[in-house]
Amino acid sequence: MANVVDVQGVRKVYNRDSLEIVVLDGITLLVPEGEFVALMGPSGSGKTTLLNLIAGIDRPTSGRVTVAGTDVARLSESALARWRSRTVGFIFQFYNLIPVLTALENVQLPLLLAPLSRKERRERALTALRIVGLEDRSAHYPRQLSGGQEQRVAIARAIVADPKVLVADEPTGDLDARSAEEILTLMETLNRDFKKTIVMVTHDPRAAQRAHAQKHLDKGVLTA
Amino acid sequence: MRHLPYILKHLRRNWVRTGSTVLAMSVCIFLFCTLQTFVRAVTWNLQSASATRLVTRHAVSLVFNMPIAYKERIAAVPGVVRVAKVNWFGGTRRPNDFTEFFPNFAVEAEPYLEIHPEFIVPEDQKKAFLADQRGCLVGRRTIDRFGWKIGGTFQLESFIPPYRVGKPFDFMIDGIFDTDLARYPGTDTSMMFFHYKYLYEMTNQRVGVGTYVVEIGDPHQATAVGRAIDALFENSDAQTKTETEAAFRAGFVSLAGNLAFLLNSIALAVTFTILLVTANTMSMAVRERRTEIAVLKTVGFPSGLVMGLILGESAALGALGGGSGLLFGWGLIRMLPSLPFIGEAVRGFPELGLSPAIGGLGFALALGLGLGAGLIPALLAYRARITDMLRQA
Repeated sequence: MANVVDVQGVRKVYNRDSLEIVVLDGITLLVPEGEFVALMGPSGSGKTTLLNLIAGIDRPTSGRVTVAGTDVARLSESALARWRSRTVGFIFQFYNLIPVLTALENVQLPLLLAPLSRKERRERALTALRIVGLEDRSAHYPRQLSGGQEQRVAIARAIVADPKVLVADEPTGDLDARSAEEILTLMETLNRDFKKTIVMVTHDPRAAQRAHAQKHLDKGVLTA
Repeated sequence: MRHLPYILKHLRRNWVRTGSTVLAMSVCIFLFCTLQTFVRAVTWNLQSASATRLVTRHAVSLVFNMPIAYKERIAAVPGVVRVAKVNWFGGTRRPNDFTEFFPNFAVEAEPYLEIHPEFIVPEDQKKAFLADQRGCLVGRRTIDRFGWKIGGTFQLESFIPPYRVGKPFDFMIDGIFDTDLARYPGTDTSMMFFHYKYLYEMTNQRVGVGTYVVEIGDPHQATAVGRAIDALFENSDAQTKTETEAAFRAGFVSLAGNLAFLLNSIALAVTFTILLVTANTMSMAVRERRTEIAVLKTVGFPSGLVMGLILGESAALGALGGGSGLLFGWGLIRMLPSLPFIGEAVRGFPELGLSPAIGGLGFALALGLGLGAGLIPALLAYRARITDMLRQA
């Protein structure tokens, strides 16, 4: 099976004042298409930085990140934005829904960039909400939803443009056990039934067990 | 257009903040429009000043009259084509009641009308007026204001002591004058003219001349002719001051001009303050939404579009403030003439109303303020990196 994520010798260094902080040091990671990978490790190990590189919202200091056949570092800012809208769906720990928009409008956000009519955008967003089981809450605002429901709306937003890769940064980190379980089941469904490749960062060993593979990071280096 | 609902929803996010910013901008635009309308009304008829007309008056003050005999001497100055006597009568329909005031002048009719082609009178009406000592010409605005007709009569009584003769002056409307504003912009058709001779007779031949209107052949010789006229009377009791019609009128409105300068300065300060207030509002709004901006960029919104959304939001604030400010200003300007005290001061101004040009300028100013206020927050959002914004959230 082809690798949809191909990270080769990636190094990421931040300069803070006169200090050079090495966050990732020579990471190589391959994720085959349709895989569900969990990235684990202690705080500050570089998990989120690696996830950001895969999602194309950050650039490596050196090395190469190829996602769905595109070398992310070679794209300009605007080309990268276009690429993200088509290729990657991002799920945040704190959902990050826009409070003044309804669930339906939040899910429609990525589609505003696509050449679709208003009706098409609405239909697609409703389909995404149906997949996450929240079609009946489409007119609700985020404040009218529980944490688990908000995360499901966020997942609907991540999948609405039908991206190849879903990246999730501790998607269950802010949820109670029951809601976390629902979210993980939903992600399994997206992986199994909709063939989405998923890269998930988590601290939670139980969440990590739901993935097909687990990768451990420590001090910017993949240990297993 | 597909992003407009998104922009409008954000404006509703914090009603109090949006409302107070819109109100502040609205007051600014209201002030701007009202003030500009006032200045325009005051300076409007400066436009009608002709380069071939000079005005000679008493060197000390307009309060003092000049001798009637000056006319022939002025007419003899090389370069002078015609001379007409003009006295501001200051008549009111009821003694010292200015609620129905309109400007009225005693003029030496024949030369005066020849010197002022902007006052267009039908030939038969002009003839009737010239033949009737108690006759008068009334401008279209005043005719319409009072519903008068040709052949109608009315009385005026002056508040100026030499013209108070113990009884009102009787007038018959012999003609109505109009104008062609395309050819003669700024011409006031609220005025009324009657014969200087009538004033002279009614005051038992005791009045002099308030001003002489002098037509000259060559506008380039205006300064030289003016100096020559004044030189004639340099050693007399009543020295004269001759200036172009434009300078004469500008002198009249200079007090109002200074006032306008002062008020314009205040308006500028208010506008600048509103710019800062709106910029602060937009900065707060954008700072609060760092995570949302990061989300927009993450889902694929290009930085330029994110910047456009913020500028769109600030322009919408400007449009709301500008729109309500215009509405406010329009309403107040319409009400001004009916207000006590202020109404009496402004009622005499022709063309007192919010013009499309001033309204458009006010709205453009509001949009400019909105865009100016949103520019820096929008640029910061444009340049901000997603990972930094997510980390700071």
